[in-house]
Amino acid sequence: MLFHTWPFLIFLLIVVPVFFALQKTRWWIPWLMAASYFFYGWWNPYYLLLVIYSTVLDFSLVALMDHCPQAGGKVDVAARLFQLRFDDGVLKTAFLVAVTATVAIFAVAWAGPASLRPALAGLAVIFLLMALGALLSHRRIWLLISVVNNLALLLFFKYGHFAVDNLNTLFAWLHCAGRLPEPSTLMPFGFSYVLPVGISFFTFQSLSYTIDFYLGNVERERNFLRFATFVCFFPQLMAGPIERARHLLPQFRQFPAFRLQNVTDGLSLFLVGLFKKLALANYLAFYVERVYDQPKNFGAPALLLATFAFAWQIYFDFSGYTDMARGVARLLGFNLILNFNHPYLAAGLGEFWTRWHISLSSWFRDYVYIPLGGNRGGVFNTYRNLLVTFLLSGIWHGAAWTFAIWGGLHALGVMITRELERSARYREQVPRLVKQLAVFGFVGFAWIFFRAESLDDAWLIISRIFTATWSNPEMPALMLALVGLVWLYQFLCESRWRTLLETSFVRIGAAVCMVLYLFLFSSGGGAFIYFQF
Amino acid sequence: MVNTLRLGGRQWLLALGLILLVILLTPWLWKQVERFDAGPDYRIPYSLSKDYWLFQRRLEDKLPPRSIVLLGDSVVWGEYVLPDGTWSHFLNAQSGPEATYVNGGVNGLFPLALEGLVDDYGRAMRRQKVILHCNLLWLSSPKADLQTDKEETFNHSRLVPQFSPRIPCYRADANERLEALVERHVNFVGWVSHLQDAYFAQKSLLKWTLEDDGGDPARYPNSYRNPLAQVTFHVPEAPLDDPQRGPKSSRHKPWTESGGATSFEWVTLETSLQWAAFRHIVQTLRDRGNDVFVIVGPFNEHMVAEASQPPYRTLRDGVTTWLEEHKIPHLVPETLPSELYADASHPLTDGYALLARRTLESEAFQSWRQRQ
Repeated sequence: MLFHTWPFLIFLLIVVPVFFALQKTRWWIPWLMAASYFFYGWWNPYYLLLVIYSTVLDFSLVALMDHCPQAGGKVDVAARLFQLRFDDGVLKTAFLVAVTATVAIFAVAWAGPASLRPALAGLAVIFLLMALGALLSHRRIWLLISVVNNLALLLFFKYGHFAVDNLNTLFAWLHCAGRLPEPSTLMPFGFSYVLPVGISFFTFQSLSYTIDFYLGNVERERNFLRFATFVCFFPQLMAGPIERARHLLPQFRQFPAFRLQNVTDGLSLFLVGLFKKLALANYLAFYVERVYDQPKNFGAPALLLATFAFAWQIYFDFSGYTDMARGVARLLGFNLILNFNHPYLAAGLGEFWTRWHISLSSWFRDYVYIPLGGNRGGVFNTYRNLLVTFLLSGIWHGAAWTFAIWGGLHALGVMITRELERSARYREQVPRLVKQLAVFGFVGFAWIFFRAESLDDAWLIISRIFTATWSNPEMPALMLALVGLVWLYQFLCESRWRTLLETSFVRIGAAVCMVLYLFLFSSGGGAFIYFQF
Repeated sequence: MVNTLRLGGRQWLLALGLILLVILLTPWLWKQVERFDAGPDYRIPYSLSKDYWLFQRRLEDKLPPRSIVLLGDSVVWGEYVLPDGTWSHFLNAQSGPEATYVNGGVNGLFPLALEGLVDDYGRAMRRQKVILHCNLLWLSSPKADLQTDKEETFNHSRLVPQFSPRIPCYRADANERLEALVERHVNFVGWVSHLQDAYFAQKSLLKWTLEDDGGDPARYPNSYRNPLAQVTFHVPEAPLDDPQRGPKSSRHKPWTESGGATSFEWVTLETSLQWAAFRHIVQTLRDRGNDVFVIVGPFNEHMVAEASQPPYRTLRDGVTTWLEEHKIPHLVPETLPSELYADASHPLTDGYALLARRTLESEAFQSWRQRQ
């Protein structure tokens, strides 16, 4: 269900009043959870099982982690293994359940349909690891299971094709006879192999809870329904923002107080998001598709402008979704974190990543960059950590080398701007506007790899930008004018003229214009780009 | 919250009030400033067939006094003929000045869509005399009756029942269906569609700026054009010299020149979706105080293969029986001579002239026309 569709409006018109009607009961959390599952199941009810599985597992893993000592003490493994002598009853039960489940899985795999075996093999590994975790009473093993499980889901559904294709190419190059099977052949009961919408978001959100608990940053959530609602909260389930347990979970502990400001802010955010998506992103998409689908047919100006248009398309599309998500959550009384903060006004690549997809960049910072060592250990180690983090971030966006190059380019950009910022001359004498335009130019260049269908296409586009003839780009003037207006608005927003934008006249006028524009000109439909991630 | 566009309660109220005002007033104001020439032989231009708002406006503002509206599909509209060769034209030409026959046909319309058109855009016809044409072509196969399970794309899908009764071959998603309902019930949205149909080649303004010329390589003539200049405040008229229609066009020829007898897989009245919709249209019109006269066919029986004749007659008789049972004045005109048909249901210009004469000569029609 997409935010900008009529079914969502009907969904919201049912969910919100019932939610507030349940204020004085214990049913508001189950209601939110049920609504969220319905929202996700609307797309594909079968993949709902995946969300539920991931939720149940991470909830259980943290509960079991909670039964292990903080500092891993010595454990009499033999006594536990042969005499079932556990200090903790829960761990003993977990061990017995895990072992029994493993045996049962093997039995089903042996006697049941062959198509179930790959999925059962995966489950057996998880249960074996659980048995090991209970046996050794080690928190790190529970964390490992959560990481393995969530990343395995991602790897299989998102990177299966990519990994198999590349490994098979490698095998062929090494003259190995073996070939890995197509991931689609591993689906149970012949189910279609489709990327579950939002898998990168809900797995990362759930994973952040187990990591944060392991690190002692968050308390264990004892109410399963509350935790399940945290993982599947419908406004941000499909495309973020990726929330942290310590920010969102406490908000589910008590019913949010009803405030008129939540309603007006929610509506404001939703309107802005809707406008970004329907009036701007969808419009720009037509031109981008026209040029990027057949780059050979277009001259340098069209390719340049299409790249410029894509930079804005993806911003409007994704930040529009986030605005709507935050707006809907605010309507219900919940606060989701800020995900975009005028990224194209950044004066450095490092700053860009504090303004673009903030919830993801902070996730990678906290769970990849800092654990790798962060900026401790000298320039070389810092840049190595940056490169690894950005390459992973690139790959997170999609299973293709183009995304890895995109991530690598951003790492390079961050390193360059960090080095430049060391120079007082650059810091003090280069006007901010020049830096902003340079950053925008660099980010736009990197988007070529992000948007191109293949590496060949990306090279073709870049080479044609520099070598093709200058022909009429035929980009609608209205499109350029709209983007120009938004850019100007953003510049004004961060200038002393901001107060002008905050006057009632401008606010009301803008809201009226946006609504009427949507009625009159919007081109409807279209899924969000980030759903594919 | 980064956006400065953050409205408070009062600001929202004011904004919503302004939006409501614009939504309510604009279509009305538009009617005052947009020129709409609907002469005696006027029919909605082919390119505006899906401009239902214009259809409604015509009924509201452009009906002459003592008018009788002919409602139906392209048989009423006149698929192969020019405006001066249509059924309504010959009815006007052959009858006295006591009534004006108005061409209310819409190209490509079928009973399931006509039902939506009458329900949502036809209220202005209240208490008028209406001639409703029943084209049995829509019952000539399960596909024409929209009964097949295979997904089909068809004209006027926004007018068909979106949820109930279920049309098996209509597979639009819930959003499209709800969108269609909103357009049908919110006048402002219908007016927006009118703008798109009348001035932007049936596209949204944004898509219009991106339109290509169909060439290879394609060019994009509207990229730098001022969209506002397109709005001429004058409803486009059909071309006077339509190469697709009229005695001079290559399409205007007897059906025998392009094919022979055809077998039809007639559906039964009991299972037909189109027939159910037709009955509903009659009921709706009568409930609104319309004086309804139904004309069945005349279908091109010369084209119906021998084996398909008996079920065709059963079907036609079933329709007549139902009309009689419900005391609906009607006429089943005699089949026209073979050479006056262009296909299974559309007459040629002379066919319309003959059909008009037979209509006017019918006693049932005369007594219906003269009753108050």
